Amino acid sequence: MEFRNYYQILDVAKTATAEEIRKAYRKQARKYHPDVSKEPDAEMRMKEVNEANAVLSDPEKRAAYDQAGSRYRPGEEFQPPPDWGTGFEYSGDGASGAYGDSAEFSDFFSSLFGQAGGGRGAGEHRARGGDHHAKVMIELADAYNGAVQTITLRAARLDPAGHVVTEERTLKVQIPKGVREGQHIRLAGQGSPGFGGGAAGDLYLEVHFRPDPRYRVEGRDIHESLPVTPWEAALGATIEVPTPAGSVRVNVPSGSQTGRKLRLKERGIPGKPHGDLYLVLEVVLPPAATDKARQLYETMAREMDFNPRQGMGA
Amino acid sequence: MTRDDILAGVLLDEVALSLDEMACACAVEPNWVVERVEAGFLGDVSLGQITRWQFTSTELARARRLIAVERDFDANPELAALVADLIEEVERLKARLNAAGLPLA
Repeated sequence: MEFRNYYQILDVAKTATAEEIRKAYRKQARKYHPDVSKEPDAEMRMKEVNEANAVLSDPEKRAAYDQAGSRYRPGEEFQPPPDWGTGFEYSGDGASGAYGDSAEFSDFFSSLFGQAGGGRGAGEHRARGGDHHAKVMIELADAYNGAVQTITLRAARLDPAGHVVTEERTLKVQIPKGVREGQHIRLAGQGSPGFGGGAAGDLYLEVHFRPDPRYRVEGRDIHESLPVTPWEAALGATIEVPTPAGSVRVNVPSGSQTGRKLRLKERGIPGKPHGDLYLVLEVVLPPAATDKARQLYETMAREMDFNPRQGMGA
Repeated sequence: MTRDDILAGVLLDEVALSLDEMACACAVEPNWVVERVEAGFLGDVSLGQITRWQFTSTELARARRLIAVERDFDANPELAALVADLIEEVERLKARLNAAGLPLA
């Protein structure tokens, strides 16, 4: 297991005061906060920062971590000492402290602090397990038709001896038809197990669509660019258009220009009410790459009385 | 349950979260939620009256954002709500730009 240098993650000295750690944490939290950060790995870095802060801001955990670190030699695989966990007493509820979802913390954290909640043994009291949260990426077409998605999650669980162990699990989840970006699917009983016979918590999956350059999503409405030829736009045409719900035949009205929106009612994401599909026309000019094409453009230039800059006074 | 079982969940908004469920989902006490609803930082407050104690997907996401800002920056609830308002406004504007096919930068 890799040793985690929490001081390095927060960019503070080992001698840092509690106030210095608090300031360093805020600075890193601002830098990597997933809501505002432009760093590509912001979410992962924020988890590291949260984990480092959970340890270094707690005097008991920090002392225990410093002791473990003093025995560690760089380059070695880290293993908690055999007598690890003795001689320290934790006043909080250990891994599930005030720092959010400890299920997101590393194996390294679990190996050091996973036993901290062991005093809360089975039979002492009954408590519901905690709820978990995860994000799931789906294709836009899955929102139209529904789908089964296989997801892999890492979660911390208590073993029968009360130790926290990290385990990976794979779930097959039904993605309901009509789901919107940002909406949650709640899976009852898929969170942390309960204590003393209490019910398991729930798992909340926050749904996001994989970016697709063809489509832009706004609620249940979908916007799609539709390239057309100049003659289809000028003369009108019936054309075949691929959409997230499959191909449809669309009438392009004559006299259309780039930017014209065609609304296909109730062809957006299904629901109450159904979304609409907006096709945004984009007139694409064929290149003058052959003699024939060049001749046709020259004929138009000669024969057509057309000035697109008339409105500019040109 | 075997690995091959397909889990069918409930889509939030088709079923709303109760106060206790919302608190559980956010790992906070119900009173934390009540205080933010009564202060107008969370949920549907119209004309100063709390009309319901049921919460949607959007409100769950907002509550988790409020918690993260309060926790990560030691922010008071008012400041966290202001930050959440601004983030949501930026998201709305980005969505409108995106729908209009305009680049973000």
